[in-house]
Amino acid sequence: MKRARAASLAPLAVIVAACLIAAGAHAGSPGRLDPDLAWCSPSWDRPLGCGEAGVDLLAMVSSAVLRGIVLAVVVALVGFAVGTPLGAAAALARGRSERFVERACDLLQAFPTFILALAVLGAVRSPSRVHIGAVFALTAWAPFARLALAQTRVLRDAAFVEAATALGRSRVGVLASHVVPNLLGIVAVQLGSTAAAIVVSEAALAFVGLGPHDGVSLGGVLDQGVAAMLRAPHVLVVGAVAVAATSAAMLVAGRAAEGRTR
Amino acid sequence: MGRLARALAARAVESLLVVVALASLVFFALRLLPGDPARLVLGDEASEADLARVRATLHLDQPLAAQYARFLRGLATLDLGDSYRRPGTSAMARVGEALVPTTQLALVGVLLGAALGVAAAIAASGPWLPPRGRLWLERAMVAAAAAPLVAFAPVLTWALAARLRLVPLPGDPDAGASGLLFASALLAVPLAAHVGRIARAALADVARAPFLAVASAKGGRPLRVWFVHALPPVVGPIVTVVATQLGALLGGAVVLERMFERRGLGTLILEAYSSRDLPVLEGAVVASGLLFVAAQALGTAVHLAVDPRARAT
Repeated sequence: MKRARAASLAPLAVIVAACLIAAGAHAGSPGRLDPDLAWCSPSWDRPLGCGEAGVDLLAMVSSAVLRGIVLAVVVALVGFAVGTPLGAAAALARGRSERFVERACDLLQAFPTFILALAVLGAVRSPSRVHIGAVFALTAWAPFARLALAQTRVLRDAAFVEAATALGRSRVGVLASHVVPNLLGIVAVQLGSTAAAIVVSEAALAFVGLGPHDGVSLGGVLDQGVAAMLRAPHVLVVGAVAVAATSAAMLVAGRAAEGRTR
Repeated sequence: MGRLARALAARAVESLLVVVALASLVFFALRLLPGDPARLVLGDEASEADLARVRATLHLDQPLAAQYARFLRGLATLDLGDSYRRPGTSAMARVGEALVPTTQLALVGVLLGAALGVAAAIAASGPWLPPRGRLWLERAMVAAAAAPLVAFAPVLTWALAARLRLVPLPGDPDAGASGLLFASALLAVPLAAHVGRIARAALADVARAPFLAVASAKGGRPLRVWFVHALPPVVGPIVTVVATQLGALLGGAVVLERMFERRGLGTLILEAYSSRDLPVLEGAVVASGLLFVAAQALGTAVHLAVDPRARAT
C-alpha cells in the first residue's frame, strides 16, 4: 500500500523537480524577451524553443507550472478546510440546514464557475494570482462539503458518535474530535481532482486573456501557440502538453490519499 | 400532475434565485471591490468632469441601495440600460445578438455529446465488442473525461485544420456550418465521456434486470434490446449528467469562441471586460446564468416527463 501511495505521488514529484531545476537554471525573469529568436524551434540552447518575441519557453513553462501548482494546492486546501467542517456540521444538525447545504452544493457544483470568474475578475483592473485564487475558492469548497455531508450521514449513527453524545460532549466537540477525523481520508481524495480542475481553469482564464498580470501562465503559452499555429506549432504543443501533464499528475496524486483510507 | 407542477414551480423559484444571486454578486463585485468603476471605464488620465459624467450615466453617483434597486428593476424588466461603448444600443440587445451563436454551439455540442456518449456506453455494455475492446473503450472514456479542453482543443485544431486541412482554420470567416460542427464536436468530447461513463454504470445495473432477459428470450436482437429496452430506464442519470456539465460547457464555449474568433456570448463577455462596458458585462453574465438555469430546469422537466419513477417520489 505504501509503495502504491509513493507511486501515485511520483508524477507530480517528477514534474515539480524538473520545473524547479529548469527554472533555477534560467538566469533572470521567465518573461525576458529576445526578439531575434522569436518563434525559433527547439535547439540545444533553447530546449523547448521560443515563443512570441523570443520568450524562452522552457523557463516560461517551468515557472508557470510551478506557480499553477502552488495556486491549485492552496485553493484546494482552502476548499478542503472550509468545506469539510461545513458539510459535517450540516449533516450532524440534520433537518433544514442539512437540506440547505446539500442543495447549495448541488447548485454550486453545476454552476458556470468560469463565467462567474470572468465576471468577478471584471471588477479588477489587472488580476493578480491572489484575485484568481480567491475567485476559485468561492466555489472550491462545495465538493468537499458534499462529500463530508454524505459521509457524516453514515457516521452520525455510529456507536462511538452516539457514545460521545451520551457522555455529554457538545456538538462542536463531537464534530471536532470524532466526526471530522474519520472523514479526512475520504474527503482528501477530492483534493487531487479539485487541484487538477484549478490548474486547467487558471490556464483557461489566461488563454482568454484574464491571466495574472505578470503574464507567467500556461494559458498565455497556449494563446501564443494558437496565434502562431502555422508558423511555430511547437509552442502550441508545449503549452498543451504542460497543461495536460500537470492536471493529470494532480489527479493521480489525489489517489495517494485514497490509499490511506483503506 | 399536480405534484409535477409543484416540483417544477419549486425548481423555477430556485432557478430565479440563482440568477438573482449571480447577478447581485457581479453587481457588488463591480462596486464594492477596491477601485472606482468610473476610473475603470475611463482610465487613470480622465478629468474629474469626465469621471462625474460617467458616474451620472452609469448612476454610480447614487447611494448603493438605490443603485441596487434600479439594477433589480432592470433585471425584472430585462433592461440594464444602454451599452456604454455603443450609446443608443441597449445592453440587452447586444446580449441577445450574441446569445444566438452561443446557443447554437452549446445545443449542437450537447446533442453530439449525448449521442456519442450513449453510443459508447452501449457499445461498452453490449455483446458486439470483445472484452478487451470494451475495456479499452472504458479507458478511453476515463481519459477523455479527464482531458482538459483548453489543452486538447488547440492541438486537435492544429492537427486537423493546419496539417490535414480537414476543417476550416480558426478565424476563417467562411467557416459556416462546418466550423460550427467542428467547434461543437470539440465541446462534445468531454461531455460524451462523462455521459458515457455514467450511462455505462447505469446500464451495468440494468443489464442484470429480468426484463432484459425476457426481451432477449422473446427474440429481440441485441441492438433492439439495448436501445429500446435498456436505454429508457437510464435516461434519468444521463439527463442529470448533461445538466451538471452545462456550467463547464458554457465555460468551454467561451474558450472555443475565443479560439475560433466566433461571435457569441463568450466573445461579448471578453470584449465587455476589456472595454469595461459594465452594463453589457452584467447583462451577458445574467444571460449566461439564465441560459444555464433554463437548461437545468429543462433537464429536470425531461427527466420527470420520461421517467415515471422520478414523478412518484
